[in-house]
Amino acid sequence: MGYTIGMEKACDVAECNHTGPAASCSLNQLGIGCCGCVVSVGGDMDVRRRLLEMGFCNGAAVEVVRRAPMGDPIEFRLRGYHLSLRNEQARHVKITGATTR
Amino acid sequence: MSTCCASSRDPAQTRSGELTIALAGNPNCGKTTIFNALTGLRQKVANYPGVTVEKKTGRLKLPDGNWATVIDLPGTYSLISRSPDEMVTMEVLRGLRPRTPAPDVVIVVVDASNLQRNLYLVSQLIELGRPLLVALNMMDVAERRGIHVSPQSLGEALGVTVVAMVGHKRQGIEDLKQAIASARTAPMPDWPLPAPMRREVEILGGRLASMDAEGRSATGGAATGLYGAPAHPSYEALAERLLIGDRAGDIAPLAGQVPIAEQVRSATARLAEAGIEPMQADIEAHYRWIEKLAERASANVEELAAMGTTAPREVLGYETARGRTLSDSIDAVFMHKIWGLVVFSAIMATIFVSIFSLAAPIMDAVQAAVTWIGIKLSAGMSDGPLKSLINDGIFNGVGAVVVFVPQIALLFFFLAVLEDSGYLARAAFLMDRLLAKVGLHGKAFIPLLSSFACAIPGIMATRTIENRRDRLATILIAPFMSCSARLPVYLLLIGTLFAGAGAMAQAGIMLACYALGILAAVVTAIVFKRTFLKGAPSAFILEMPSYKVPQASQVLRHVLSNTWEFLAKAGTIIFCLSVVLWALMYYPRLPESRIEQVALEARANMPAVLRDGVMNQSNSAAASEDIDASRQAWIDEAVRGEELRHSFAGRFGRTLEPVIRPLGFDWKMGVGLVGAFAAREVFVSTMGIVYSVGGNDEDTSSLTEAMRADVYPRGDPRAGQDVWTPLVGISMLVWFVLAMQCMSTLAVVRRETAGWKWPLFMLVYMNGLAYVICLGVYQIGLLATR
Repeated sequence: MGYTIGMEKACDVAECNHTGPAASCSLNQLGIGCCGCVVSVGGDMDVRRRLLEMGFCNGAAVEVVRRAPMGDPIEFRLRGYHLSLRNEQARHVKITGATTR
Repeated sequence: MSTCCASSRDPAQTRSGELTIALAGNPNCGKTTIFNALTGLRQKVANYPGVTVEKKTGRLKLPDGNWATVIDLPGTYSLISRSPDEMVTMEVLRGLRPRTPAPDVVIVVVDASNLQRNLYLVSQLIELGRPLLVALNMMDVAERRGIHVSPQSLGEALGVTVVAMVGHKRQGIEDLKQAIASARTAPMPDWPLPAPMRREVEILGGRLASMDAEGRSATGGAATGLYGAPAHPSYEALAERLLIGDRAGDIAPLAGQVPIAEQVRSATARLAEAGIEPMQADIEAHYRWIEKLAERASANVEELAAMGTTAPREVLGYETARGRTLSDSIDAVFMHKIWGLVVFSAIMATIFVSIFSLAAPIMDAVQAAVTWIGIKLSAGMSDGPLKSLINDGIFNGVGAVVVFVPQIALLFFFLAVLEDSGYLARAAFLMDRLLAKVGLHGKAFIPLLSSFACAIPGIMATRTIENRRDRLATILIAPFMSCSARLPVYLLLIGTLFAGAGAMAQAGIMLACYALGILAAVVTAIVFKRTFLKGAPSAFILEMPSYKVPQASQVLRHVLSNTWEFLAKAGTIIFCLSVVLWALMYYPRLPESRIEQVALEARANMPAVLRDGVMNQSNSAAASEDIDASRQAWIDEAVRGEELRHSFAGRFGRTLEPVIRPLGFDWKMGVGLVGAFAAREVFVSTMGIVYSVGGNDEDTSSLTEAMRADVYPRGDPRAGQDVWTPLVGISMLVWFVLAMQCMSTLAVVRRETAGWKWPLFMLVYMNGLAYVICLGVYQIGLLATR
């Protein structure tokens, strides 16, 4: 699941590791510098509520800022602030329209 | 919308007619700075009963001359989520906390540079229906980022007063005080809910209204009608809370009633058919409202210039064209894959070295000072129980408490600086992967690192971990980190029993002790997180706040309040246990006749150097006095040794012998282990007394000799064998790495977990583990060397 290196890329962003269909992928599949809009948030009730409450809703734009030295967690920027999530949480956020900013 | 009716005023609210003001806000919004500016030094820090959430209250003199109580609530993102902090915040705001009056006015602090997410909490506070005031803080940061928020537009849109502030410069504090009188309930916004959900809210609201009316008429209008309903601004608001699954303490009785639960269930089912999940739809509606609001409130530059409040962007040099903030630039280095780790290591090394060695001379000085005072105080007293109680009991106990103060103060200084600057979240981010492997949170790193100096400040530092299970797991494994108190014991045992092994081998054994502790921590953390601390893997959702310069006054407050709390709460327990331990080692007393007998025996067994000392020395009076003193010291040591053997602790050591014999320990070590309960390094001085050689943890040469020379006496199954073999040494080292034998740690765990359950569990599992491993090591070692 998640962050794999060396697979065929589906988008044209150099650093993006997104390998699924370009229309929709998970937040943890985006490369650094990539930006996408939130489509839906999955996961268990508590995590989903927290992610929604932190602003992962209504098609908010989310940008990948960086990954921690060991690849996880991932830092994002959304609604003008920075937030980090583990791969485990980020994969529950589905996004669309991944591009560089 | 229908208006409120089922509300009953909280009796605590009208207490002495004084206003209660609650200060709410997101974490990192500058709330504490505003609280400090409002209340000055008139603050009180306590705990909410039953939880380890800090209750900070302060007194504020209002412009009209009256006094008000200000409650600084924990920083929260939401009123519905489930961390203890959020629970407490929600309960205080809804007036559900016993002995905490429901607030008359809620001041919500909003970070203007992070408007949308901060407004989410505001949107929830509006639903509370309490008089509200918005403190729009960090206006300077927002301006620097080119975000221009107009307090006027925001206030008009919200329907409450909005005060622009720069908290750390005390700008807007007076305006805020003035505005308190004008705080009023915000009009309930028309949340842009999806049509089917809106319909269900209206239907359920209508049902609740008619049930309420029926209930009232049935009881003649006297009773409250809708049983179990909390104060609510409207029936629709109540219906919405029920639909989105809010089960806070005030609404739970209502939600639990069969007809209502039935209504909620069928409404939820109808919505699910339409593809709507109420909780999600509610949050989305709030954010849709917020997005519009933020747009309206973000004034353009010209408009602000006309009001004379603008800061020209060009002047603020670090605002680059791409919108890169100063925080972004710092993070380019601090969060870099290589440089980030270098910076992190440097910061952690500084903290560790400070706690480990910088604090040591201060700690020694503090303890020496306390002991000195005790000796001076009791100087005029004759020897006896009272003098011993004062010196060895009371002043030793005080010393045992205050000795931790330098370490705790230093650690909380660093924690405050790291937290206020915004680096703490970064440190957790950098280390999370490593700790996630054993099921812990990235924030566990600093507590565990601190525990290598001392578990006491380490365990106190776990307060930064929000998730209860993660925090408990960290507390439970922290004492496995080899603390500085184990070092003298390691040095004594390795130096005594592995002297011939060479410096490299000795260093290797020492390293192995530290490694064994870490290994034990990793294994137990994994086991605990898969058993009784099991749950969904804790989510790591951590805000990375922008960097700020920590304020000296705030850091100082943090250090003082935490140090004081340690002294007041954990300190009293440590002190009491010290006195109990003193009594165990002092009573019962040796009969006078036995003391004389021991003294005589000691005189007879005196080494030749002492007995014939005079012959080899010059006959000066000074030298002869010296020799007399040495002889007396020799005899005193013998008496003290016999006294300890005779005491409860000594007897306990003997009683313990059958239990600890399979580990290779004899009764003398048992007495040492009892003494080590005060603090692990006390093992060394207790062994010194048991072997009647005196000595302290700095000079152990005579103790080393006595230990090496000790053989089992006639009558023992092991008669003639060495008591301290290298195998016994290894077993004892393993014991000291793994066993929980520090009453101060237990006292702090009791304090931090609000009960005796976890400290007792810690005592049992750590000592049980230590026993089993030592048993294995010693018995297998015996077989292997036979």
